[in-house]
Amino acid sequence: MSDRIADEEPVAVTHTGPKGVINDWRKFKLESMDQEALPPNKRELLRQMSSPHKPRDSCVGGINRKMSAQEYELIKEDDEKSLRKYRKQCMQEMHERLSFGPKFEGVYDLDSGEAFLEVIEKEHRLTVVVVHIFKDGVQGCEVLNSCMDCLATEYPSVKFCRISAAATGAGERFSDDVLPALLVYKAGELLGNFLAVTQHFSEEFFATDVEAFLNEYGLLPEKECGPGADEDEADVE
Amino acid sequence: MSELEQLRQEAEQLRNQIRDARKACNDSSLSQITAGLDSVGRIQMRTRRTLRGHLAKIYAMQWATDSRLLVSASQDGKLIIWDSYSTNKIHAIPLRSSWVMTCAYAPSGSYAACGGLDNICSIYSLKTREGNVRVTRELSGHTGYLSCCRFLDDSQIVTSSGDTTCALWDIETGQQTTTFTGHTGDVMSLSLSPDSRTFVSGACDASSKLWDIRDGMCRQSFTGHVSDINAVIFFPNGNAFTTGSDDATCRLFDLRADQELMMYSHDNINCGITSVAFSKSGRLLLAGYDDFNCNVWDTLKGERAGVLAGHDNRVSCLGISSDGMALATGSWDSFLRIWN
Repeated sequence: MSDRIADEEPVAVTHTGPKGVINDWRKFKLESMDQEALPPNKRELLRQMSSPHKPRDSCVGGINRKMSAQEYELIKEDDEKSLRKYRKQCMQEMHERLSFGPKFEGVYDLDSGEAFLEVIEKEHRLTVVVVHIFKDGVQGCEVLNSCMDCLATEYPSVKFCRISAAATGAGERFSDDVLPALLVYKAGELLGNFLAVTQHFSEEFFATDVEAFLNEYGLLPEKECGPGADEDEADVE
Repeated sequence: MSELEQLRQEAEQLRNQIRDARKACNDSSLSQITAGLDSVGRIQMRTRRTLRGHLAKIYAMQWATDSRLLVSASQDGKLIIWDSYSTNKIHAIPLRSSWVMTCAYAPSGSYAACGGLDNICSIYSLKTREGNVRVTRELSGHTGYLSCCRFLDDSQIVTSSGDTTCALWDIETGQQTTTFTGHTGDVMSLSLSPDSRTFVSGACDASSKLWDIRDGMCRQSFTGHVSDINAVIFFPNGNAFTTGSDDATCRLFDLRADQELMMYSHDNINCGITSVAFSKSGRLLLAGYDDFNCNVWDTLKGERAGVLAGHDNRVSCLGISSDGMALATGSWDSFLRIWN
């Protein structure tokens, strides 16, 4: 989870905080400026900014500065149209980056503790794994199973699995009063642990309730049409 | 022996004295002392509100002191004042520059401020007679980007800058009352102490400094990090503070012990931290990482207590309200979320 972005970029750049702003601005300048029309010294500066091997920070006299004097001069009134285009592009890139990964169909039945461990540890590091621990006869398990069948079709990038408490090999840990249980993993880490998850729902619940619940904890990815990605650039009222 | 040589020796002796004094009071480690403490358990927070309205990545946010309103700054070149209870937008303020790095809310609620690559700290009056929001002051003087600003009150604001200095401004006159020099790298963040008499700054020289607001002196310097410090926040009781750095660790420094008490890190984590916040009691430390992930740490035991967002790492900035009831996170997808 931590080095995902560093893996996919040639240079490790900061995305958040003040340095994030500096890097976003640099990227914007590089993409929006017509390089042919530039005077030679500015072209040279842009070439330096885009070079992956030159250290970003300038250490003059032992002082660690993040922006060079020439860069400060480059900051002027930015072209609003290119800015709008740039923002949309940034968001689109991020959405695309996160929808990459293997796709799944239906809910997977796990039949043993080993299968359980295997699915937690061996999936792609971007894949969210939702495991439903159930027991036949316990209230809510059957409904939750059909909810998961629905959600599995709506979220193909999430791997939904189910395993009976007895099959886990740790049956004593899962007494009837903590079932059904939902465990959510990613890259081998436990992100969400919801014992007796049905206590959060009313007696009759549907796939949308389970979906809303998991969304509140930030555990589900966005659906295919991302929010805000297709909206007009209407001004904020 | 030349005078320069004498001064060098004196400086070396003083450094050794400081090091020995720190060693002398370092009789145990925080993790040893808290070994018997009950773990805080798994922290799983739920989104309670989603604030929609910005059109691009959220760069910064700060809660108002009423723990209800908050201000956010985005790459779309707007400052938005939100009512987190109703999710309504109270004000949408267009900025002259889209490259905004910080925003602040005055304790009185009457002013907001922001700044960034324009090197200027702009002050906005939120309660004008006409009912609209306008710029009342543009504080210029820094020769580098404005990384952080925090209001002391309606007439004074402290700023930190990429020009390696911090400054206390008199908003009325627009002049710097005090300049705080000493860092040898861009200053990235600052945090006011609860009693408003001092503030701590973190910089790209891997050090953090405690400054006396009244006389402009650096009272204490803290080292330990091996890379740029991006974020600092005071511990609720004012006796300690935590820093977040590009070296993938957060560290807790104590003012009275004059040294580092605890490091929050894990072998799996090799991403820099760019935002930090404490829960009201200080038991939980929230850290926002540069891969947009957010970890919750047990401050006392040094263990990870939870992860904020599971799938889509989206956190670009965060802040906890002063009543401790809510965490707000800003995201690259233009939304803010309120959690608890």
